[in-house]
Amino acid sequence: MVDLAYKTLLHDKLRFFITVAGVAFAVSLILVQVGLFIGILDNATITIEHLPADLWVTSKNTPNLDFVHQFPETSVERVRATPGVKRADNLILSFMNVALPTGAQETTVVYALSNFRRWGFPWNVTSGDVDDLKRGPYVFFDDSAAKRFGPFEVGDYRELMGQRLKIIGKTHDAKSFTTTPLAFMDYDRAQSLQPDLLRGKTSYILVELEPGARADEVRKAIEKELPYNDVYTKAEWASRSRDYWIKNTGIGFNAFMTVFLGCLVGIVVVAQTLYTSTMEHIKEFGTVKAIGGSNADIYKILAKQAGVSAVVGFVLGVIPSFAIRPLVEKGDLKLIIPTDFAVTVFLGTVVLCLVASMVSFRKVASIDPSLVFRA
Amino acid sequence: MPVLEASDVTKVFDEGKQRVSVLRGVSLALEPGEVVALEGPSGSGKTTFLSILGCILTPTSGRVVVEGQVVDPKKPGKLPDIRKRSIGFVFQQFNLFPALTALENVEYALNIKGVKSPLATQKAAEILERVGLAERMRFLPRDLSGGQKQRVAIARALAAEPAILLADEPTANLDTQVGAQILELFRTLARADGRALLIVTHDPKVRAVSDRVVQIRDGKIAA
Repeated sequence: MVDLAYKTLLHDKLRFFITVAGVAFAVSLILVQVGLFIGILDNATITIEHLPADLWVTSKNTPNLDFVHQFPETSVERVRATPGVKRADNLILSFMNVALPTGAQETTVVYALSNFRRWGFPWNVTSGDVDDLKRGPYVFFDDSAAKRFGPFEVGDYRELMGQRLKIIGKTHDAKSFTTTPLAFMDYDRAQSLQPDLLRGKTSYILVELEPGARADEVRKAIEKELPYNDVYTKAEWASRSRDYWIKNTGIGFNAFMTVFLGCLVGIVVVAQTLYTSTMEHIKEFGTVKAIGGSNADIYKILAKQAGVSAVVGFVLGVIPSFAIRPLVEKGDLKLIIPTDFAVTVFLGTVVLCLVASMVSFRKVASIDPSLVFRA
Repeated sequence: MPVLEASDVTKVFDEGKQRVSVLRGVSLALEPGEVVALEGPSGSGKTTFLSILGCILTPTSGRVVVEGQVVDPKKPGKLPDIRKRSIGFVFQQFNLFPALTALENVEYALNIKGVKSPLATQKAAEILERVGLAERMRFLPRDLSGGQKQRVAIARALAAEPAILLADEPTANLDTQVGAQILELFRTLARADGRALLIVTHDPKVRAVSDRVVQIRDGKIAA
């Protein structure tokens, strides 16, 4: 079969290039902006995702992971006594001042546990041993801290809350939503650095369930024991933390507007170019009708042209979106494009291009085949 | 028995608040193998009549019968099928698809009429050989001369072997010599297969190849 749609589309290469460039631009815009959005949100919950806690006990109405309120650390004993709990430990999360060699002051987010090894935390340890943290005034920093704190090496010292701590290890990829660098130290050490705030207090209780224990039942039992705390599943707590930033900072609206504008740009470009192309080929469509073709035959041509534009435009849009990832990472940002999101964008691109071609459908339906006789 | 018959056909167009009567009771019958020239000044209604005969337009009143089947003006959705089955067109402007080669232009018309490739490819190649374009099958229309384009258009019209061929000023964009060649080719091919051929024209040369000449003036048959 002669493929009139494909051949006509490629016959005018400049027009085809403009069409797919418009689609590619829209696809890139959506993938990069939403990818950055997902990357930022990933930082907001990255520690939740990497801690193997089934339940998180927080102080009442804690809005997100970073905005903590301390509560008595002895609560952990009642959690440990709850049926279905395999393990429960206190986790301190606290912002602490860091004095830099330059004399400047910076802030770090400290995660403190009594036994890091037991929780497999932190992840991506690139140097040092987390078991050594409890053996002295030691700290781990994530390597991303170099951007804020300046270059540092294992063996260097930094002053946190007025006390010199030796850097004995580094991690990679442990970032926070606020871009404040992450530090890891022993639970008691953290309390000693901020005694007024942390003595006898914890920020969270991490709970691991016994195999076969039902999360909802254990959760109810803990809530009964600790009526002045909240208990979330891992997914709920991550969702609550993400939602806080999405709803309270405007980045959610920003991402929505980006997607909306990307779709709008894509639709307008494809609709405009297909419509112009239809108008320029109107006599050819009239000829198709005159030789016995139906409106459906012409719709198929337009739909195929829209589909081909969508597929080629998507591919051309995906390539730069992935290619700029190293550049984005140099800026300490993450560009995360999950496969299911990429598939959704692909399907959306095809659907929107087909919708755009419908503008031309209306024109085609009204073609008077007798125009073929006009000079 | 005529393969195409129009009886007392009228056509009225609404142009704003005015009603313009373009055809006022026109009748014509085409026999198989007959070549008829339809002449008339600009605005006489030739093209409108051709459109009605070709089942592109429906008449306001009157009757059109194609290969024994009455065309129902109340069912315009049936017209593409009649065009597909019984009618081949040749246009003044050739109306070839610029993105398709000569061979593909003919093949596509066959595809539209339900002939699948590769049979369509084979038939298209055969008919292009008959019109003398065996060496130009793979050329795009932009690389063909006016006469060659019109040969492709004739091949496209003949490819599906319709009973009726309708041509609108087929020599208008050709020089005298090429125009004469095209008319001769057209007549020979139509007659050889017993097809009825109606040529709308201003060109006096068409008279020479026609069995009869029909004049239309002010929407009526004059002679």
